Amino acid sequence: MTKHQDDHLHFNPQVQIIKISYDGTIKETDNNFFNWKKNTSVFDAHPFFEILRELERNNDTDKKALNFPCIHLEDSEVAKICDVTFTIEKKEITIILFDYTTKYKDLNQIAQQKNESILLSKQLELKNKYLLEKEEFKNSFIANINHEIRTPLTSILGFVEVLEKTKLTFEQEELARIIKRESLHLNSLIDDMIDLSKIESGKLKVVEERFSFQNLIDGFRESYSKVAEEKQITFETTIDPSIQEYLIGDRTRVYQIINNILTNAFKFTEEGKITFSITKNYQRTNKTSLNFKIEDTGIGIMQENIPHLFERFTRFDTDKRVSGTGLGLAIVKNLVDLLNGEIKVNSEPEKGTTFNIKLPFKFEVIKTAPKRKKKKYTLPKSKNKFRILVVEDEEITQYLIMKILISTGNFFVDIAINGQEAINYIERRKYDLILMDLTVSKIDGYQATHMIRNNYGDKFISEVPIIGFSGKANETAKDKCIRAGMDDFIAKPFEQEELIYKITKQIAKKAAD
Amino acid sequence: MKLSKKVVLIGHFGVGKTSLFRRFMDNEFSEEYKVTLGVQIKKKVIELPDGRELSMIIWDTEGHSNSIEDTRKSYLLGSHAFIYVFDVTREETYATLHKDLEYLKKNHAKVPAKILGNKLDLVNEKEIAQHLTSQEIHFDCLTSAKTNKNVQNFFSELAKEITK
Repeated sequence: MTKHQDDHLHFNPQVQIIKISYDGTIKETDNNFFNWKKNTSVFDAHPFFEILRELERNNDTDKKALNFPCIHLEDSEVAKICDVTFTIEKKEITIILFDYTTKYKDLNQIAQQKNESILLSKQLELKNKYLLEKEEFKNSFIANINHEIRTPLTSILGFVEVLEKTKLTFEQEELARIIKRESLHLNSLIDDMIDLSKIESGKLKVVEERFSFQNLIDGFRESYSKVAEEKQITFETTIDPSIQEYLIGDRTRVYQIINNILTNAFKFTEEGKITFSITKNYQRTNKTSLNFKIEDTGIGIMQENIPHLFERFTRFDTDKRVSGTGLGLAIVKNLVDLLNGEIKVNSEPEKGTTFNIKLPFKFEVIKTAPKRKKKKYTLPKSKNKFRILVVEDEEITQYLIMKILISTGNFFVDIAINGQEAINYIERRKYDLILMDLTVSKIDGYQATHMIRNNYGDKFISEVPIIGFSGKANETAKDKCIRAGMDDFIAKPFEQEELIYKITKQIAKKAAD
Repeated sequence: MKLSKKVVLIGHFGVGKTSLFRRFMDNEFSEEYKVTLGVQIKKKVIELPDGRELSMIIWDTEGHSNSIEDTRKSYLLGSHAFIYVFDVTREETYATLHKDLEYLKKNHAKVPAKILGNKLDLVNEKEIAQHLTSQEIHFDCLTSAKTNKNVQNFFSELAKEITK
């Protein structure tokens, strides 16, 4: 022990000195904080001191002094955090314990905060990753289940349309009407689920397009007037005449929002009236904000239920005759938020409900655009029927398309069950059009189209019109088809008229070329 | 002569060294994270398969932020085994594994180092094992101090190995 250490020890109560023999027997100790007895073994005092045996065994005791900082020492009465020094002399070892408990506890707090914040951010990162994976799984699950449901639904809707054209008794007609109505309901439910999933995953993008606002409102006026007539209630629509006829905004989403609220108003109003008014909140340069007010005299909503109105799967009515999934208003709220709008609701049970929706729009100061009408196409004159190749692996959809096309009397139909078979067919026979399911096996619809467009010198093959179709109907599906070389896209479930229109259009366009 | 072996738990902070220490020593676990400053040492006497008794003196050291070189050198003196603990959910806790093992080999050539991946309860065992193998992280055992999975078995095997 140095002179300096010795002096330090005498004046500092935070130090304890223990002298031991090489076998660990305590020869002397001041017991400043640990009350260890003379002639007992230091190895029994605390397992830390066992290190001395190892140092001796490994000849590490050659070193004159060894320092061990920040050692937690405790016995049944005292707990300290000490720096420990071993000074190895000829006949004995001096152990000095420097008590730095307070200093180390302060340092401990700092380290605790620092490490905790790092670990917490890591935990959040992990949680976030987990949630993202879960979200991705949910979205892909919804997309897949949607595809699986849409395929049989296409068949149901298609066959009902075929069935409706046959001779039916009154009862059969009614049953067919119910099947169609329920199938359409199921179809809109799938759309709701997909929309909600897209909104929640941030995949729904706002589209800014110029559209006729007047037409949109006229559409509501027309279709809901019929419903009002059937229900024998009054439906009034008023629109501020200073609102521009053409606005710039996401027409589809605006339609969806208003349609949802109007549908609800009609669903829950059995007598009285529904008023739909659109007023202008403000107008600045090329921006305007409109207020859509939908007021009904329906059953109303209990005050305590209003805060939960926009939650998913929320339904307060117990009337099972009123159909609904509880997704509609959740979608509305999400869409309004997405469009940077506001939605407010006031309601009183038995008196009615009022929804106020504020939505921002832009407008251009330009002349009104001519109304775009759907161009009419007719099949070119031909002695022979037109030959269509349907590439589809689902037997029921094959049969449905065949039935629709053959019933027109204008088409011959061949069926290929996968992309490879389609290639074999087109090499053997000339087709006027190919209806290509995008997800067929072996060679999918995209690949098959690529091969048809690029591998044949015969223009009859390489330029044959191709219409893609799929149950995975989303905004990019058509773009993807066009980029793959197809001429058009039709989503399942398709309407008979739409299918015939698209086929006719492509054949007519090809003939005109 | 009574058998006594010093085993040192080393690794990054927050990987669960103290949890493993407490689980092995007292069969306790706490969700609360508490920083270890310096080193805490405890002894546990275990019976070996041949009937001998071994005093395992476990040094639970303060976790480092970068590499093993931050660990105080005196803590590693006189060791019979090192347990290098990493957190299977945090890549940064095994990113320096190869370098750290080289350091141990260079300075403590005769002391075996066991690699242990902890917090198995937070991941899928098969998936993480595959992931670690693909990253060339060779581990001796995957454990969960929380659920006690593989903890006692790991220490028993280690005891056998260091007393051979």
